[in-house]
Amino acid sequence: MNFWPTVALVWSKDIRVELRSKDTLVTLVLFALVLTMVFTFGFASDPQTNLRVFPSVMWACVLFCGTLGVGRTFAREARDGAFTALVLSPAHRGAILTAKTLVNLVLTLIVTALTTPILAVMLRVDLTDVLGLVAGQLFLGAAGFALVGTPLAVMAVNARFAEVLLPMVVFPLVAPILIAGVTGTAAILGTIPENDPRPWFQLMLGFDLVYLVGGQFLFDKMVTE
Amino acid sequence: MNVRLALTALATIGVVAGHWLAFDFAPVEAQMGVVQKIFYFHVPSAMACYAGFIACCIGSLAYLWTRKGRWDALALAGAELGLIFGLIVLITGPLWARPAWGVWWKWEPRLTSMALLVLMFSAYWVLHTFGGSGEGVRRFAAALAVFATPNIYFVHVAVEKWKGMHPEIQNKGSGGLSPDMRTAFVVCMVVLLLLFGLLLEQRYRMHLQSRLVAALRRRIHRIGGDA
Repeated sequence: MNFWPTVALVWSKDIRVELRSKDTLVTLVLFALVLTMVFTFGFASDPQTNLRVFPSVMWACVLFCGTLGVGRTFAREARDGAFTALVLSPAHRGAILTAKTLVNLVLTLIVTALTTPILAVMLRVDLTDVLGLVAGQLFLGAAGFALVGTPLAVMAVNARFAEVLLPMVVFPLVAPILIAGVTGTAAILGTIPENDPRPWFQLMLGFDLVYLVGGQFLFDKMVTE
Repeated sequence: MNVRLALTALATIGVVAGHWLAFDFAPVEAQMGVVQKIFYFHVPSAMACYAGFIACCIGSLAYLWTRKGRWDALALAGAELGLIFGLIVLITGPLWARPAWGVWWKWEPRLTSMALLVLMFSAYWVLHTFGGSGEGVRRFAAALAVFATPNIYFVHVAVEKWKGMHPEIQNKGSGGLSPDMRTAFVVCMVVLLLLFGLLLEQRYRMHLQSRLVAALRRRIHRIGGDA
């Protein structure tokens, strides 16, 4: 079976299951809302401070929701014993990984698209002028997160303590994305002296490309039947 | 066997000699005073730490490609030693930074990347040790070690750009070592790397043997079950 048809098949299967049950999406959105509340309780004060903490809070939400979503990547397959079938099928493993990565990316983007405006309203930050730039950053960041997290989510299938181990493994690995995201958003909002976000875009792009290639190489080797 | 014994004896003498050289033979640094002496142990430990993580990466890559258990044993031994020496670095570093910089910790590229490196390989170690004993876990851990390697570069670039806004990064290596200091430093470096090599080999063989014991035990159970 060819690469892209497999990707489309696995992706649409996952999205269809998700749209029918909606369990991951609803949980993630609710979790994100709780997070924004907690952060707002902690940080909301004068407009100047709000503007300064906004990038960190926004990226913390992406990080937490992303990890939660990524951890559930293979949850359905693992529970039903379908993971073995998926791996044993003649489908290219890289295609399975690509499809799963795209599912995670879509879920993270939906949650981010819902929570970021809410967060902006709660912290009274005006994003209308910089919406395109921030959206671009969030896209690259969420992509990097999905690219690193999805192959690692295989762990949930065959390791003990996976739900604790996965964040422990993923957080240090996405540290560059977080630094680039937080500082880049601060640059866009103009809260730091150096307000050129371009190097941060480049860094994220480079990160995404390396893990796009690296994940494809490694995934085949790390999966056991 | 005899070579190992000789090297172990050499390392033992070297550790004692290194302490003497660092604390008595090398002069006290004029500006920083006694705290500077921590560098005779801090820098070689950092080198041993990197060597351990490099061994882990090489072992992991080789394991993923060949599926031979001994590479996995090498990777695990490398990670363990890298973590031990990494902890030494992370403990001795702040001890020096407090008198020299006035703060225990700075988000400077080298410090941040070292801290994240230790965190990543801790994850590897935890996964390998507590994640279960199946081949899937081992392979996953190996992939994680390989995944972590390009990350070191990204962390470094990111932190450099991030902290580039505050031009207050002070470099540790001032280069102005007196000949006696240099002697002490070189001896300490050689001794610590020798110690590292010996420990790595010991841990590697220990992991191989414990796997052999586990395999034999399984066989005994099987034979016992048949009888």
